[in-house]
Amino acid sequence: MTALLELEEVHAGYGPTSVLHGVSLSVPEGGVVSLLGANGAGKTTTLRAITGGVRWTGDIRFAGRSLRRMPTEEIVRRGIAHVPEGRGICTELTVDENLKLGSHLRRDGPEVRKDYDRVFEYFPVLKERRRLSASTLSGGEQQMLAVARALLMRPRLMLLDEPSLGLAPMVVRSIFEIIRTINQTSNVAVLLVEQNARIALEMSSSAYVLEVGRVAVHGAGSELQDNESVRRSYLGY
Amino acid sequence: MQEFLQLVLSGIATGGIYASLALALVLIYNAMGLVNFAQGEMAMLATFVGYALITRGMSFWIAFPVTLVLAFGGGIVIQRVVIKPVEKAPVLTLVIITLGLATLVNGLAGFIWGYLPRTFPSPFSSDSVDLGGVFVSYRDVGVIAVTGVVLLCVYLLLQHTTVGLTLRAAAHHPEASRLLGVHVSWMLALGWGLASAVGAVSGMMVAPVLFLEPNMMQTIIIYAFAAAVLGGIESPLGAVVGGLIVGVTINLAGAYLPGVGGDLQLAVGLAIIIVVLILKPNGLFGQAAVRRV
Ligand SMILES: Nc1ncnc2c1ncn2[C@@H]1O[C@H](COP(=O)(O)OP(=O)(O)O)[C@@H](O)[C@H]1O
Ligand SMILES: [Mg+2]
Repeated sequence: MTALLELEEVHAGYGPTSVLHGVSLSVPEGGVVSLLGANGAGKTTTLRAITGGVRWTGDIRFAGRSLRRMPTEEIVRRGIAHVPEGRGICTELTVDENLKLGSHLRRDGPEVRKDYDRVFEYFPVLKERRRLSASTLSGGEQQMLAVARALLMRPRLMLLDEPSLGLAPMVVRSIFEIIRTINQTSNVAVLLVEQNARIALEMSSSAYVLEVGRVAVHGAGSELQDNESVRRSYLGY
Repeated sequence: MQEFLQLVLSGIATGGIYASLALALVLIYNAMGLVNFAQGEMAMLATFVGYALITRGMSFWIAFPVTLVLAFGGGIVIQRVVIKPVEKAPVLTLVIITLGLATLVNGLAGFIWGYLPRTFPSPFSSDSVDLGGVFVSYRDVGVIAVTGVVLLCVYLLLQHTTVGLTLRAAAHHPEASRLLGVHVSWMLALGWGLASAVGAVSGMMVAPVLFLEPNMMQTIIIYAFAAAVLGGIESPLGAVVGGLIVGVTINLAGAYLPGVGGDLQLAVGLAIIIVVLILKPNGLFGQAAVRRV
């Protein structure tokens, strides 16, 4: 498989504080890759580097093209949907308007309508609440909205930053089920940042564990799951 | 009763003028979390441009849209040249920059056109029509119609177009919007252009009543502040409703409260600002608290 996304020796930080110290990773076309690690390890910063939210050195390539100096708007227009930490829901807007922000750049009308049907099939609750303000949604529903909106961008790659954060286990299950379905039916690659390593590894083909800005462990999802010392020292279960 | 209705109606007409300028303030407040103290002066400058077009023989109804387009472009240029380079600066810096901009624009108009008040041609006849005993001036009806159409257009643009949607998203959630492919920086410029054009409407409508001179908008902007604060500084609809309430209130207060006519009218505007900020700092339609003014 060819790599869709490749990070090579990426260093990044905030002003004088450097956070990433040479991170290399790759996500294959259509694959699911987990990025794990403790709080503060630099997972969010890695995603921000990919979509141009922090300054970085090294190289980041998407679909064979370097993203160096590319503004965020251009990067996402090339096919990366980034569901940020905190979900990035526009709470002043309605559910419908949030969804529309996901599809507003697309010109393939009939396909867009199909994607809306699909989204409402996955998340019926969003259809019921279409006209309501997004601020009235529960945390789980907002996460669904964020994933739905990302899907409507029809990306080649989704970056998901802790989709399980603060959600009840049942809700987490169903959201991950749908992420898996999206990956399989639409061949969207996923780079999944999670604290909840167990559930992330279940669906990942490969995984990276970050430790203070460096890749400490890298392997196939099942390998990491079965390796007790890795589990104990990095994944906490 | 008839006098009362007449006062209300002409209050709505002035209210429409305040509403336009208040809406301009709200648009920019949403785009950068800050009141643009130069909004009134920008409207004044646009009105002078309209004046220049009219005195060169253009009819009002051609000069009016041309002026709005020029004001729109001017607003974008000001955002790109003056505001964008400092957009990450602390609030106080930005406040000082908009105050500086106000002084600069005022001085520029004074330099070009001087400080002698000029009569600005009214597009409406000064006659009145008798509607069952209530005398309604064509001017009031005309101002209400023009501001009404402009405000409706802005509403439709913001609420029912994709550009309007991305504009609102960019103003409230710049980071999230960028991740959705919205060109946030251009949306903020567009917000300035729009605000500048809407503000120009207030200038063009008020100039025939007041005389045109560089300080023309300095009282109007106080009423517009009062309207925006009353409506909730983040709410476009609030700005419009606030503008109408302020217009009618001031008209009625001037007529019925002894001593409030003339010079003390401005005090009513300031009183509205203070009372709202104390009793209901979010205004009538506001959700978030007034964070920075
Ligand atoms: N906006 C920021 N400014 C400065 N430092 C930050 C910022 N965001 C994160 N950091 C720091 O960068 C490090 C990595 O953070 P982050 O990438 O959010 O980690 P993770 O997502 O793995 O929990 C932390 O030490 C954090 O304090
Ligand atoms: Mg994080």
